[in-house]
Amino acid sequence: MPVLFPLVTSSLLFAIGVYVVLARRHAILVLMGVELMLNAINLNLVAFDALWHDALDAGQSLSLFVIAIAAAEIGLGLAIVLLVFRTHRHINVDELRELADRDDTLASAADGAATS
Amino acid sequence: MIGGLELVVGLPLLGAAVVALAGRDDRVADVLGVGVGTVTLGLSGWVWLAGYHASGFQLQSDVTWVRAIGVHWRLGVDGLSGPLVAVTALLSWCCMVALVRRAPSCGQRRGIVALVLLIEAASIGTFLSLDAILFFVFFELVLIPMWFLVADWGDADDPIGRRRAATRFLVVTVTGSALMLVAFLLLHQATGTFDIPTLLKVGGEIPRHTQLAVAVLLMLGFGAKVPMWPLHFWLPDAHSKAPTVGSVLLAGVLLKLGTYGLLRFWSGVIPLGALQVSPYLAGLGVVGILYGALVCLAQSDLKRLIAYSSVGHMGFVLLAISTLTRQGRLAANYANVAHALITGLLFFVVGAIKERVGGSELTTVGRGLYGRAPKLAALFAFGAVASLGLPGLAGFWGEMLSMLAAFSPASALPSVPYLVLMALAGIGVVLTTSYFVLAVRRVCQAAPELPALPDIAADEWLAWAPLAIITVLLGLLPGLLLWAGTSP
Amino acid sequence: MTLSVLVALPFLAALATLANGHRSVRAVQLLGCVPTFVAFTLALVLGGEHWGTASPSSYVGDSIATGGIAITPAFRLDQLSAAMLLLATGVALLVQIYSVAFMGKDPRYPTYTALILLFTAAMSLVVAADDLFVLLVGWEVMGACSYFLIAHYWEGEPSRQGAAKAFLMTRLGDVGLLFGIFTAGRAAGTYRISGVLRAVADGRVSTGQATIASLLILCGVVGKSAQFPLHSWLPDAMPGPTPITALIHAATMVAAGVYLVARLLPLFQLSAVAMTVLTAISVVTMLGGACFALVAEDLKRVLAWSTVSQLAYMFGALSLGGYGPGVLHLLSHGAFKALLFLAAGSVISVVGSQRLADLGGLWRAMPVTFASMSVGLAALAGLPPFVGFFSKEGVLGLAARDASDGSARAWLVLVAGLLTAGVTAAYAMRTWLLVFFGSPAEPAEPHAGAREPALLMTGPVVMLAVLTTAGGLAVLSPGFLNVAAEPWRPVTMVLSLAVSALGLVWAYVGWRRLHEGDPAGSLGRARPVLVAEMRVDAVIDAGFVRSAWLGSRVSASTETEVLAPYVRGTDAVMQLASRGLRWLHAGYLTMYLAAVVLGALVIGVLAALVQR
Repeated sequence: MPVLFPLVTSSLLFAIGVYVVLARRHAILVLMGVELMLNAINLNLVAFDALWHDALDAGQSLSLFVIAIAAAEIGLGLAIVLLVFRTHRHINVDELRELADRDDTLASAADGAATS
Repeated sequence: MIGGLELVVGLPLLGAAVVALAGRDDRVADVLGVGVGTVTLGLSGWVWLAGYHASGFQLQSDVTWVRAIGVHWRLGVDGLSGPLVAVTALLSWCCMVALVRRAPSCGQRRGIVALVLLIEAASIGTFLSLDAILFFVFFELVLIPMWFLVADWGDADDPIGRRRAATRFLVVTVTGSALMLVAFLLLHQATGTFDIPTLLKVGGEIPRHTQLAVAVLLMLGFGAKVPMWPLHFWLPDAHSKAPTVGSVLLAGVLLKLGTYGLLRFWSGVIPLGALQVSPYLAGLGVVGILYGALVCLAQSDLKRLIAYSSVGHMGFVLLAISTLTRQGRLAANYANVAHALITGLLFFVVGAIKERVGGSELTTVGRGLYGRAPKLAALFAFGAVASLGLPGLAGFWGEMLSMLAAFSPASALPSVPYLVLMALAGIGVVLTTSYFVLAVRRVCQAAPELPALPDIAADEWLAWAPLAIITVLLGLLPGLLLWAGTSP
Repeated sequence: MTLSVLVALPFLAALATLANGHRSVRAVQLLGCVPTFVAFTLALVLGGEHWGTASPSSYVGDSIATGGIAITPAFRLDQLSAAMLLLATGVALLVQIYSVAFMGKDPRYPTYTALILLFTAAMSLVVAADDLFVLLVGWEVMGACSYFLIAHYWEGEPSRQGAAKAFLMTRLGDVGLLFGIFTAGRAAGTYRISGVLRAVADGRVSTGQATIASLLILCGVVGKSAQFPLHSWLPDAMPGPTPITALIHAATMVAAGVYLVARLLPLFQLSAVAMTVLTAISVVTMLGGACFALVAEDLKRVLAWSTVSQLAYMFGALSLGGYGPGVLHLLSHGAFKALLFLAAGSVISVVGSQRLADLGGLWRAMPVTFASMSVGLAALAGLPPFVGFFSKEGVLGLAARDASDGSARAWLVLVAGLLTAGVTAAYAMRTWLLVFFGSPAEPAEPHAGAREPALLMTGPVVMLAVLTTAGGLAVLSPGFLNVAAEPWRPVTMVLSLAVSALGLVWAYVGWRRLHEGDPAGSLGRARPVLVAEMRVDAVIDAGFVRSAWLGSRVSASTETEVLAPYVRGTDAVMQLASRGLRWLHAGYLTMYLAAVVLGALVIGVLAALVQR
C-alpha cells in the first residue's frame, strides 16, 4: 500500500479536527476535535514507522504514548466539562470567560456564583 | 572546600525559615529573631576580624555549583567586605530588638522577623560572594523581602501608597541589576570566568571597548541602587512609606550593596573603563551631594529629609570611589559604614517620633521636642550632628577622606576637575550643616505647643545605643576601620 | 600621660553627667567642678614643666593610615600651649564654680555642665594637638558645644537664630580650614604641625603652596575668631548663658583662631599675600568692632563687639610677625574679658535685663562687682597698671617699630590700633557710666532689691580681677612664654595713653551733656549707621542665604516638576502596554486555539524555510 493513503487520511482527519476545534462552540465537540487531531498524528506515526522499518519501532511506541495521553486528557477534559455544566448550566465555550484578564472578572465570577 | 562563612549566611536563612514556619505564637518569633540575630552578630565580628589585617580573601570556600557555565559557590572575606558584614549584622540585631515591642501594626510580627532575617542573610551573602553570578543571586534575593516589607508592613495609613513605593523600588533596582547582569555576562565573554578573584587578576587584559561598556553598565546598574543622582527618585518614597526597620535596613544595608558592588568591580576588574567613566561618576556624585542638600532645605517631612540626606552622603562615597586610589577606597568604605550607623540611628529616632505623633510631617511632629521628649530630641540632635560630619564622630572621617581623595586622585585622572568637585563637595558640607541645623531648629527647639511625648524606653535604648556608641568610637578612633594592610 | 588625663577626664565627666546628671543637682555640681579642678591642677603641673626656656615635649601615638599621608594622634606641649591650657582650664574652672550659683536652678543644668566639660576637653585637645586633624577634631567639637550652648534657652527666637548663625558661619570657614589642611599636608608631606613647620624651615614649601594653604586656613580662623567678613555671629551669640559667653565666646574658643595662626606663623610668614590679607582683616575688624561696641544697646553685645575688636588686635600683631605680642594679648584678653562677662552676668542675673537702658546706678548696691568690673574695663581701655595696658602696648610698640622701618602694613596697624584704643576707651567709659552710675533710662525706678549675688559668683569674678591687676607682672617678667619682650617705646605709649584719655573724656562729657544719658547720642547721624552694623548681615543674607534658598527651591521643584513626571510617565507607559496585552487575553477559548494553530503554522512555515 502506498504511503500516500494513510498520509492523506491523516491530513483530512487533522483538518477536520482543526475545523471542529475552531468552529464549534460546544465544549464536548471541541474535545472531540482535539481527539481527531491526536489520532491523525497517531496514523502518521504508524505509517512512517511502517515505511522506514524502524528498528526500535519508535513510531508505534510513540503512538502508544499519544493514546495514553489522549485518554488522560479526555478524562480530565470531560470532568471539567461536567463541572462547568453543573455550575453554569451550559457548556458554550464562548460564554465561559471567567479567566479573562478584566477588571470585572471578579464581579462576573461573583455573579456566576450567585446565579448558580 | 568550605571556609565557615556559610555559617554566617546560613544561620539567618535557617532562622528565617524556622520563624516563618513556627506557627502563630509571636513570642517564638521574638526569641528566635533576637537569638539568631545575636549569634549572627557574634559570627560577623569573627568574620570582620578575619578580614581585618590580612591581605587577600580569607576563610574562602569554593564549591562548584553549576558546572556547565562555571558558576561556583565561592565565599570569602577581605577588608572591604568585613566591616560591611559586621555593620549589616549589627543593624539587623538592632532591628530584631526593636521589633520585639515595636513591630508595625499592620501585618504579622513573625512575618516581618522572617523577612528581616532573610534580608540579613542575603545581604551578608552579597558582601561575601566571590563569584559574580552568586553575587547577583544574593543581590536579587535582597529585593523581594524588601518589597514585601514595604508593601505589607509599611505606612499603615496608606496601603496604596506603600505598595506603589515598594513596586517603584523593585522596578528600579531590578532594572539596575539587569544591567549589572549584562555587565557580568560581558565580563564572562571576555575572560571566560565569573570568579571575582580571577577577574581581579586578569581584568586589565580585557579589551578597552568591553571595559568601557562594562563600566557604563555597572555605573547605571549599581547607580540605581546607590542611589546616584538622577536615579534616586525611588528612595524618598520607599523610605517615607517603609516601616522603621525597613528604612533602617534600606539605608544602612541596601544602599551599601550598590557602593560595595562598585568598589568590588570598579578599578580592580575594569581599570581602563573605570578610568574613562570615573569623572562622570564623580560629577554625578557631587551633583547628588549638592542636590540632596538643597532638596533637604526645602523638605517638610522628616523621613524624606533623612532619605535625601542619604543621597548626599552616597554622593561622597561615589566621589571617593571615582578617585581610583587606595585612599578613595578606604574613604568609601569608611563613609559606607559611618552612613549605615548614623542614618540607621536617625531612622530609628525619626521612626519613633512618627510612631508617637502619628506622622513625620514637620507640622504633625510639632516644635519644641527638647521640651516634650528631651532624650529623644537630644538623640535626634546627636544624629543630626553626626550626619552633618562633625569631626570626632564617625561621619566626619568618611566625608573628609572622600574630599582628601578627590584632592589627590589617581595620576591618570584629570586633577583640576577633581579639585573643583572637591570644593563643591565642601559647599555641600556647609549646606548639609544648614539643613540639619534647620531641622533641629524646627523640630527640637522653640517653646512646645503640642503635648509631651513618651521619652525613650528601655528597649529602644537597647536597640539604638550600640549605633550611637559605635558612632562616637569610630569618630574618636578612626584607626579601627583604617588599617595599613594591603586590602582593599 | 598627664596630658591624656587632662583631656580624657573632662570628656568622661561629660559622658557621666549626660548619663546620670538628671538624678541629682549635687552630683552635677561635683561632676562639673571636680574634674575641671583636676584638669586645672594638671595644667599647672604641665605649665611648671614648660616654664621659661624648657624644651617642648611631645607625645606621638600610632599613626592612622589613610592611603595617603598618615594622620597621627600626636601632641606637643611648649610654652604657648601650656599657657593656653592654663587659660582654658582656669577659666573653665571659674565658670563651672560660677555656674553652680548662676545656673543651679535651671532644669537643663546637667546638659549645660556636660557641654562645658566637653568643651574643656576639646579646647585642651586643640591647644595640645600636634596634628592638624587632631586639632580640627577639637576645633569642631568646640564649635558644636558652642552651638548647643548658645541655644541653651531654645524657647527664645534670638537664641535659636544666634546658635544657627554661629554654627553655620564657623562651619563655612571650617571647610576652608579643612582644604587648607589638605594643602599644607601635601606641601609638607605630613599633617604634623611640627612637621609642617620643619618643612617651612627647610624651605621645602614653596611660596605659592604657602599662600594657598595659609589663605585657606585663614578662612577657618576668620570664622572661628569672628573676624571680618564672618564676624557677625559673635554678637548674635549673646543670648546664650553668660558664663559660657565668658568661657567660649571671649576667653578661649574665639581665641583659638589666634592660637592657630600663632602656631603656624612661619607658614603664614612665607606668604606676603596671606600676611597682607591678615593685616587688612585685622585693621577693618579692629576699628569696626570698636565702633559697633560704642553704640550697642545691650551690655553683652558691647562686650561681644569689644571681643571682636580685641581679637583683631592680636591678628594685627601676628600679621606683623609679632608672635610674642599677639599671644600675650590673647592671654591677657582671656583674663580680663572673662572677668567682664562674668561680672556682667552678675549684673544681669541681679537686674534681670541686659539692655543698657535698663541698667544704671548699681555701684552702691553691688560694690564688689562694681570694683571688679571697673578693673576689667580699665584693662580693656588699656589703662596702666592693668594687664591690658601692657599687652596692648606690646602690639602697638611692635607696629611702631616696624613702621619706623618703613613698613606700610605696620603703619596701617599702628594708626588703626591707636584709633581703636581711643574708641575702646570711649565705649569702656560709656559702659561703666551707664551700668553703674546715673539711673535706668526706661523703667524710672532704681533697682531697689539689687545686691551682690552669691559668693560662688563673686568669688570667681574677684579672682579674675586680681589676676587682671597683677597679670602685668607676668607679662613684664622676662622670658615669659620664652619670647623676647618688646622694648618700651615711650612715644607710642604716651600717644596711646593720650588717645585713650581723649576717648574717656569724650564719653564722660557726652554723658554729662546729655544729663547722664548715653554718650553715643552725641554721634549724630553716624549713630544709626553704626547701630545697623553697616548692614553686613544684609549683604551676607542676600549673597549666601538667599542663594541657598533659591537653590533649594530650584532643586525641590526639579524633583517635583522634572523628575517626578518622568517617573509617572514611565508608570503610565507601562500601564498602557499592559492594557494592550490584556486585550489579547480576553477569555475566548476559540481565539486562543486559533492563536495556537496560527502559531504552529507560522513555526512550521519558518522551519520549512530554514530547512531549505
